[in-house]
Amino acid sequence: MKFLRQLLASCALLGALVGTTAAVAADAPSSPGAKPPAKDLVLKGDAKCTTCHDEADEPKLLHIGKTKHGTVADGRTPSCTNCHGDSDLHTNNPAKLKERPATDRSFGKNSKTPVEARNESCISCHKKDAKRSHWEGSAHQRADVACTSCHQLHTAKDKVADKRTQPEVCFTCHKEQRAQVMKPSHHPVMEGKVACSDCHNSHGSIGPKLVKRDSVVETCYTCHMEKRGPFVHSHEPVNEDCGNCHNPHGTVAESLLKARPPFLCHQCHTPHGGQIAQLRGQLPTQPTINSSGKSGINYTQARGCVNCHTQVHGSNNPSATNPTPQFNLR
Amino acid sequence: MRTLQTRPGFSLKIVALALLAAFGSAHAADDEIAALIRPDSSVSIGAAGVTGAENERSIFGQYNGLRRQDAYLLLDLDVIKRDDATGTWTTLQGRNLGLDTREIRFGQQKQGDWKYSFEYDEMIRRDPRTINTSLVGAGSTAPVVSRLATAGSGSDVNLELKRKNTTIALEKWLSSSLQFEASFRNEDKNGARMFGNGMACPSGSAPSPLCTTGVTQWAQLMLPEPINSSTQQFDAKLNYASDKLMLSGGYYGSFYSNQYQSMAASINGELSNPLGNQMGLPGNGPALGAGLRGMLQNPIALPPDSQAHQFYLTGNYAFTPTTKANFKYAYTHAAQTDNFSVFGGAPGGRSDLGAKVDTSLYQLGLTSRPISKLSLLANVRYEDRNDKTPIAYYNVEGNPATTAFTNGNYSPKRLNGKLEGTYQLPDGYRATLGFNYESLDRGTFVSTNSVAGLSGLRQKSEETGYRMELRRSMSETLTGAIGYSSSHRSGSAWLKPLSLSCTGLGGLSDAGRGVIVGDPSLTSVTACATFNNGIYGVNSIFPSSMTDRQRDKIKMSADWAATDQLSLQFMAEWGQDNFSSPGTKGLRSSYMGFYGVDAAYALSEDWKLTGYWSRGDQTMHVDHSTGYLAALRNLSDSYGFGVIGKPTSRLQVGGDLLLIDDRDEYKQRGGSTANSTLLSRLGGLPDVTFQQFTLKLFGRYALDKTSAVRMDLIHQQTKLNEWTWGYNGTPFVYSDNSTVTLRPSQSA
Repeated sequence: MKFLRQLLASCALLGALVGTTAAVAADAPSSPGAKPPAKDLVLKGDAKCTTCHDEADEPKLLHIGKTKHGTVADGRTPSCTNCHGDSDLHTNNPAKLKERPATDRSFGKNSKTPVEARNESCISCHKKDAKRSHWEGSAHQRADVACTSCHQLHTAKDKVADKRTQPEVCFTCHKEQRAQVMKPSHHPVMEGKVACSDCHNSHGSIGPKLVKRDSVVETCYTCHMEKRGPFVHSHEPVNEDCGNCHNPHGTVAESLLKARPPFLCHQCHTPHGGQIAQLRGQLPTQPTINSSGKSGINYTQARGCVNCHTQVHGSNNPSATNPTPQFNLR
Repeated sequence: MRTLQTRPGFSLKIVALALLAAFGSAHAADDEIAALIRPDSSVSIGAAGVTGAENERSIFGQYNGLRRQDAYLLLDLDVIKRDDATGTWTTLQGRNLGLDTREIRFGQQKQGDWKYSFEYDEMIRRDPRTINTSLVGAGSTAPVVSRLATAGSGSDVNLELKRKNTTIALEKWLSSSLQFEASFRNEDKNGARMFGNGMACPSGSAPSPLCTTGVTQWAQLMLPEPINSSTQQFDAKLNYASDKLMLSGGYYGSFYSNQYQSMAASINGELSNPLGNQMGLPGNGPALGAGLRGMLQNPIALPPDSQAHQFYLTGNYAFTPTTKANFKYAYTHAAQTDNFSVFGGAPGGRSDLGAKVDTSLYQLGLTSRPISKLSLLANVRYEDRNDKTPIAYYNVEGNPATTAFTNGNYSPKRLNGKLEGTYQLPDGYRATLGFNYESLDRGTFVSTNSVAGLSGLRQKSEETGYRMELRRSMSETLTGAIGYSSSHRSGSAWLKPLSLSCTGLGGLSDAGRGVIVGDPSLTSVTACATFNNGIYGVNSIFPSSMTDRQRDKIKMSADWAATDQLSLQFMAEWGQDNFSSPGTKGLRSSYMGFYGVDAAYALSEDWKLTGYWSRGDQTMHVDHSTGYLAALRNLSDSYGFGVIGKPTSRLQVGGDLLLIDDRDEYKQRGGSTANSTLLSRLGGLPDVTFQQFTLKLFGRYALDKTSAVRMDLIHQQTKLNEWTWGYNGTPFVYSDNSTVTLRPSQSA
């Protein structure tokens, strides 16, 4: 590498001696001996940094130009030093250290900059965003999550902003949910159709678990509004918290149920009769033509209790006559 | 970031410029930089083939749109343009355009000034299970049922549900501190999902003489629910921001509209008796009674139209740079007035439910750092739901009528509070201590509302808890945390449904309950029904969401960058809930454990390896009132391995291997001598197991700077061994001999 570098440099010097182009002429200093003015590459005032961190040094850094932060025409967009600080020690290295001091604020995984100071770089501009109004005091803020723990700025494609790659970012910390979304009953998170941010506001909310709307039920109703009612015959746990019965991240039981009926239903309801869960084909004694429909089979297999109590989220059937719908039968 | 090695006279930038000066145009440098800083556009086109029969990939193809056909067009596009002079972006994005999960979005924005976008998005869920039935009009509002001669001899019906979303959004900065945002989203949902009905005759809900045969008959039908509905959500808000204050006020409206109010099946001919034989034939009992037939053909309500209007004000305020507040107030008016006209038998004077629910929500949070080492948080949230739906007698039980029931009225008030402090200790330790409080006051119940199968209700429950956490940065490369939380929920005295008799339990109260008032038109209504006496005995189950609960949890985690190449994450979590109620049945306790380790190893700048393992272990102890005592355990292991690398400057390759091994155990003991004997003969419920192996490989070869070819290979094998729809080769059979199946071993 050293040899190659020297060879390239030699060629460069030779080229500089023998070749002249309009571009170089244009850039030439106006008076002999004067230092050429530093030229910004991407952001306003970035020459301080891009003099060294140019396309040859770390081209990916320049990718910030592909992003909203790189839209220079928007007067609000920052320069390098707005986020990283003036970083004079880093720039000038007055102590001539072999390894330059870090920038005033750095954001890599080994950064020594306190998370709060890192986040302040972002919040100082993004505090105007209504979606971030409840960042202070939120679970992520209290857990010292840095903005850059989730967001990548020097890239055109921030993983967390694309619903196809977002889960991979969230699962860096949320391991249990990573396992759950791969169970057979799940929201299409891994299929890239539902993002974590469809239900959660990672920047803070007033609901539990950072749910996007004000409560769990209101968040679920945004896609499952048919469960909202109000119904003639309501099922109150539905109004309280969908999480009473469902695990939204995934289960083996159908319909994201935390447990299969009848075991789920028996956590609240006193069922009819003293049956024990049974399976068709497993019976030691066969049923008769007069066997009760309220059997261990009928509330265990197929849709379980919901085979008959089909309106488990509520029924709007007003019929005041038998058979009564208030047990959510029809 | 890599720090540049300084070597006077040998800067690579100078090298590059000099080379260009000698051998090329300066435009080449500009082009190179432009390529690095200007937005890219791309189009990706290809084809996909899927192997195996459709039922061999029903789990794989549940959501990804790759189930029905064997070949698909793959088309994605990203057209992104920016006018650098004005800062105006124009984007056109398309995803999965050849699949029925397609998405397309067009947007323009002048950054910091205005923005608008249109988006269209399709999502499909294909039920992985297949129904075999003779049903005519499956998924319609008027399905026709006729009994199959033998189970499995009908037609296969695969249900699917499609959502089509259209979203329009716009934003405008009115000044540097004032912004207007609005969005409208419409979703059309079409298809069908599993549904059905069932009835025993006679029964409490269907007493004689409704049942006409003189003997017990029952039937269960698989009737897919027809879905043709739309939802609209409209959000408009005005945001104001100054140095200290951020304020956002707006309106959120949500509207649900269902094309179908009800469905009703027609039953042709006979159904099966409990033995699976056709009713009415010699030796098979009487023919399907007119009473039961009529009940099964009764209209089944489908979700009613509804709407909600919310007005809100939210924001934050910085008293000082270290003391801030955030807040929200929201008022919501929800209504449901779907007309009852398609149903018979609505109570006199009621043409719709007339549901009106007003909810007020208040939240205030404070954060402060009074000294540099101490952070404080206080938060309070109060939600007051006020159900103003009129009460009417919607049900009459018994013949002649003995009991009348009304609709309910649910007006809970929920209060949450949190207080937390974090202190920076010496040696890199940081300690957190927090307290939580929650109360839920469900209000006074409507005494005439029948609550199905519930033994008791609790007006108020309260939960108090605390949490402690110690976090330490042990070095620049190792951080760890350990936390413990504990909470206890208790509440007011239990209230019994007034219509039920109390048999043997102390500590119960009728306080706050009214007296059943019969509908004046029902002269035979009495104050107390008798058919459910046993429900309120010592074997009662009290709702687990209301019972006393002690909850304890420990959580530990560590992040370790062992070397520059290797990083590891460890986490472990344990929790336990213990429930108690006046009875001894229902949900008694639950346990959870979760452990895992993640590793990432960089072999070189170009090659990286990742891997993880996690185990979830949960157990619930549920005691049926008289039937069984169950220990329900779920044990789930997940493994993942990944590799990504660049063998050459043009070639990138990668792969992921995912393994899931999940087991549900259903351990039971008989709740009575008879059931213990029965259980020993049955052998209990078998485990339900789920195993999935997924291998994903890809290779991407760059043909030149602007084009590349990519190949993906995904192989998935799934085994789902469940007894839900059949056991040991014997299917669960509906009364018309319909069955539901899922191929237990799948490969795609």
